[in-house]
Amino acid sequence: MFRILKGTGGERVFRVATISALALLALFFIGIVVSMLAYTHWDTFVSALFSKEILFAVRLSVTTATVAAIIAMLIAVPVAYAISRAHFWGKDVVDSLLDLPIVISPVALGAALLIFFNNPLGAAINNHVVKFVFAVPGIILAQVTVICALAIRLLKSTFDSIDPRYEQVARTLGSSKPEAFFRVTLPLARDGLVASGILTWARAVGEFGATVTLAGATAMKTETLPTAIFLSLGSADVEKAIAVIFVLIFIAVVALLVIRKIIGRRYQI
Amino acid sequence: MKKLRLLLIGLLLLVALSGCTKAETKTITAFVGSASKPPMEEAAAAFEKETGIKVYLNFGGSGAMLSQIELSKSGDLYIPGSPDYIIKAEKKDVIDTATVKEIAYLIPVIAVQHGNPKNIQSLADLARPGIAVGIGNPTAVCVGLYAIEIFDYNNLLADISKNIVVNAESCEKTATLISLKSVDAIIGWDVFHDWDPENIDVVYIPEEQLPRIAYIPGAITKFTADKDSARKFLDFLVSKEGQQIFQKWGYITSESDAKKFAPNAQIGGEYQLPSSYQP
Repeated sequence: MFRILKGTGGERVFRVATISALALLALFFIGIVVSMLAYTHWDTFVSALFSKEILFAVRLSVTTATVAAIIAMLIAVPVAYAISRAHFWGKDVVDSLLDLPIVISPVALGAALLIFFNNPLGAAINNHVVKFVFAVPGIILAQVTVICALAIRLLKSTFDSIDPRYEQVARTLGSSKPEAFFRVTLPLARDGLVASGILTWARAVGEFGATVTLAGATAMKTETLPTAIFLSLGSADVEKAIAVIFVLIFIAVVALLVIRKIIGRRYQI
Repeated sequence: MKKLRLLLIGLLLLVALSGCTKAETKTITAFVGSASKPPMEEAAAAFEKETGIKVYLNFGGSGAMLSQIELSKSGDLYIPGSPDYIIKAEKKDVIDTATVKEIAYLIPVIAVQHGNPKNIQSLADLARPGIAVGIGNPTAVCVGLYAIEIFDYNNLLADISKNIVVNAESCEKTATLISLKSVDAIIGWDVFHDWDPENIDVVYIPEEQLPRIAYIPGAITKFTADKDSARKFLDFLVSKEGQQIFQKWGYITSESDAKKFAPNAQIGGEYQLPSSYQP
């Protein structure tokens, strides 16, 4: 069947096919946004946008997601490196176990965390170390639980793609193992680090199921942007929900554009 | 490869054919606030057995269900957890107000963990230092709105608010707060005990402290495609058989029984959060 795709005609068909796929997908998303615009009442929009509750939700979402993404990356770098390089008995089992949070729905993870804090050990942690249940640290914990696996998966493929021989060469030139990692492998993995950092941050901003289950939906306390959308729909206030959706889209677009600008076009994410 | 293709075509045909036969049966869709989930599932099954009409039930917060009807412009029945949402639906012009029926009654109570370990006997106890109180989110969950109304009515709003550690995003999540021992007390519905008898005990609020009790209303939407079947289901829910199902699940089905808990309380109506209300 590839015969028809041979020659310049084939090239054109191929080009048109791929570009129209891109155009169709773009149209799909533009269509969704435009249909929301049609439902927007601008005065409700502005008043919702600058309400104390929404401004609080914006701040809370951005700070918790940033902290969560940093924690997740700090955990994911060594873990991904270990899975990529080390060989040990039961590695497959550990590897699959780490993928579980990607497959299991976030609301189940949130419920599992809530149940964990219900047992004696969890309750002791919650009462004497850090208060997670229905509190801001709970939002961060929920987000980290959900995004960690994603960060590990992305970084593992980055480390997989870096030939271990670079490290070996560095070691023959006198580097210690940590030195070789920090001065050779990590700089080589920069693209992957940046990409997975952005993706995990973005995922954390949008996280809802685990967050609302562990941290609740208390306005001015644990109400993140996705929770605000859910609550607005829950109080049958569609206009407000749309306003918050636009806020979320705006933050996401600005953040992604800024990050791309800072790191330059060199990194294709 | 060829075998696989044959298998696929066979499967497709099967699906298409079974789709054809199914199209004969009537179906209606109801958007239901989760306050009536357990009996509603049983009632829908009984109704289908009796009439052959399949009822698809969508459960969620009363407001979320209203948003879905409003946005999709579809759905045959709207059955929220309290009459406040019928008023909202009326304002949005999505229901036929002449069709509203009262299906069952809900009494606001204090719900506590099994055995009442913190010995909570009254609303005033909720303001005691060290008591963790949970309520439904008052803007989105009816039982949360009733909680604020009751605190407000008894001039305890400021005192109890200090102890409110969480707002739950739905009615059943409010009950789960007690089931999972996440808080010491919630304002819930009397039926929460029947939902989870092993974990949830209820403490009734004295009649003079109850400004209002709720009922579960049902109404036919303006977007219904099969008004006849929708009406039949609504009639079934208030028929003797339907009411028995609700009673089995611990719901109060007659107004006089509901009145016993609060003879002077208003039934239904709407409560607006005080403008001074700070979450």
